[in-house]
Amino acid sequence: MTEQRIVGLGAGATGFRSYERGGGDELATEDMVLNIGPQHPATHGVLRLKLTLDGERIVACEPIVGYMHRGVEKLFEVRDYRQIIVLANRHDWLSAFSSELGVVLAVERMLGMEVPVRATWSRTLLAELNRVLNHLMFLGSYPLEIGAITPIFYAFRERETIQQVMEELSGGRMHYMFNRVGGLKEDLPAGWLDRAGAAVAAVRRRLPEIRQIILGNEIFKARTQDVGQLSPELVQAYGVSGPIARASGVDFDLRRDEPYLAYDELAADGVLRVVTRDEGDCYARFSVLFDQVQVSLDLADACIEQLRSLPAGPINQRLPKILKAPEGATYCWTENPLGMNGYYLVSRGEKTPWRLKLRSASFNNIAVLPEVLGGCVVADMVAILGSMFFVVGDIDK
Amino acid sequence: MSSWGSGLLDGLRVTWRNLTRRSVTAQYPDAMPVLPPRSRGVIALIEENCTVCMLCARECPAWCIYIDSHKEVVPPVEEGARERSRNVLDQFDIDFSLCMYCSICIEACPFDALHWSPEFEYAEYDIRDLTHDKDRLRDWMWTVPVPPALDPAAEEPKEVVAARKAADVKDTAPPGQEPKA
Repeated sequence: MTEQRIVGLGAGATGFRSYERGGGDELATEDMVLNIGPQHPATHGVLRLKLTLDGERIVACEPIVGYMHRGVEKLFEVRDYRQIIVLANRHDWLSAFSSELGVVLAVERMLGMEVPVRATWSRTLLAELNRVLNHLMFLGSYPLEIGAITPIFYAFRERETIQQVMEELSGGRMHYMFNRVGGLKEDLPAGWLDRAGAAVAAVRRRLPEIRQIILGNEIFKARTQDVGQLSPELVQAYGVSGPIARASGVDFDLRRDEPYLAYDELAADGVLRVVTRDEGDCYARFSVLFDQVQVSLDLADACIEQLRSLPAGPINQRLPKILKAPEGATYCWTENPLGMNGYYLVSRGEKTPWRLKLRSASFNNIAVLPEVLGGCVVADMVAILGSMFFVVGDIDK
Repeated sequence: MSSWGSGLLDGLRVTWRNLTRRSVTAQYPDAMPVLPPRSRGVIALIEENCTVCMLCARECPAWCIYIDSHKEVVPPVEEGARERSRNVLDQFDIDFSLCMYCSICIEACPFDALHWSPEFEYAEYDIRDLTHDKDRLRDWMWTVPVPPALDPAAEEPKEVVAARKAADVKDTAPPGQEPKA
């Protein structure tokens, strides 16, 4: 005799109206375990979520990470500081430039190296263009995940505009490989600043279209407003950072709070504004992203202006054939597009680091998921998951 | 809510406006993309410049360069001079299925034997064919573009500085005593 199981919209359906419920409160229910991923169209990449469902309600969620673990910290240990950049720009493939930056800033700090001023401003410019590229990706893909397919075409058109100037400068479209200890790999091509300025202007001109098409959309609002609220307490408890934390009212941005590159000057000029929201829901996270694009475009413009007025000079330092970081340790964190990205560099005076610990933003941002997803319904799962803006390579490292 | 749907209409207005614009789609196989000279497509090799110093193979983070060589004895150039031995390249393969396109080999090369070419159409049906031998790498050399001019605020490229220095020395040297190139 098989046991008769009644699995339906029972206790999990409390809070629904009758037409949504299908069944009734009185029906017996049984928890069901549902795997989302590792290969699932609703998750980008190989993130696996083990959901325990009571009817339509998510009782528990366990993110199972590591399907894409490449042991990058171990690989760092057998590579010199130029080879590390190759790997550093690959763990979060949407913020390659910012991730490279952390490594070289750490090594420069250990060496006590002064970076030429043109390199500092160019790096700031490129980091901001990279931020725009990253955010545009999510501005396109998030609506796509919850069923609005049009915005991604506009987002990708803008991405292409900026990628073109990035490719002209660095030769790469994703893995720029353009940072070197002491500066940048090569100097800017003639006329590049004009073309970069034109690209920024073009994106700025067309950006309102993305706002018009999605941010005011009633269906989008219904799917995202008051969904997946993340409290500031949770943000602090889990070390959530970046646009997600700022959407919950946590006013923290390393560019302003612990300035690196040229950000202190930009903050003093008022160009660097930190975008925050108080709601902490999916819609707030998405709109923080949108506003950050505009801030980044302003920053990029300011950097271009500054680069035009800087006196002629080098863009990198002459390096010794074999570069060794002196014995010691340093922690260098930067505000990556997705949040805080830190490198803890321990050197024993070799040409490779003794240890290079990577603190990636997405890992902490995804760790808070069980808290946010618990009590939500399955239909909101994708909306919440997508609004955590993560890159699986950044989680699994 | 009287304005419900106005956001939807706003969105539709955007799509309508874009409907009247030219499409940005790249018609790739019919129209080739114009790639900047720094674009990292494929690595080209000038075999003549290579001295088999193995720096590229050693620096490569993916270890995808395979070099083999032998020594050859060159007869003395002048009477009474001793014989010289010279490295001759037998094999220079780059496995593009492993390559991470980081351009460290190109930077590491002290004799400018390696260059980037923006050429990208070398997809293969068999992964083994992605290993390009020295003849194939030499052929890519024909597609290597001239590097772009640098920003006015940039330092001069070291090649230009070196060339100018050599020219100055030549100009100032008394006739008949020009240094050998």
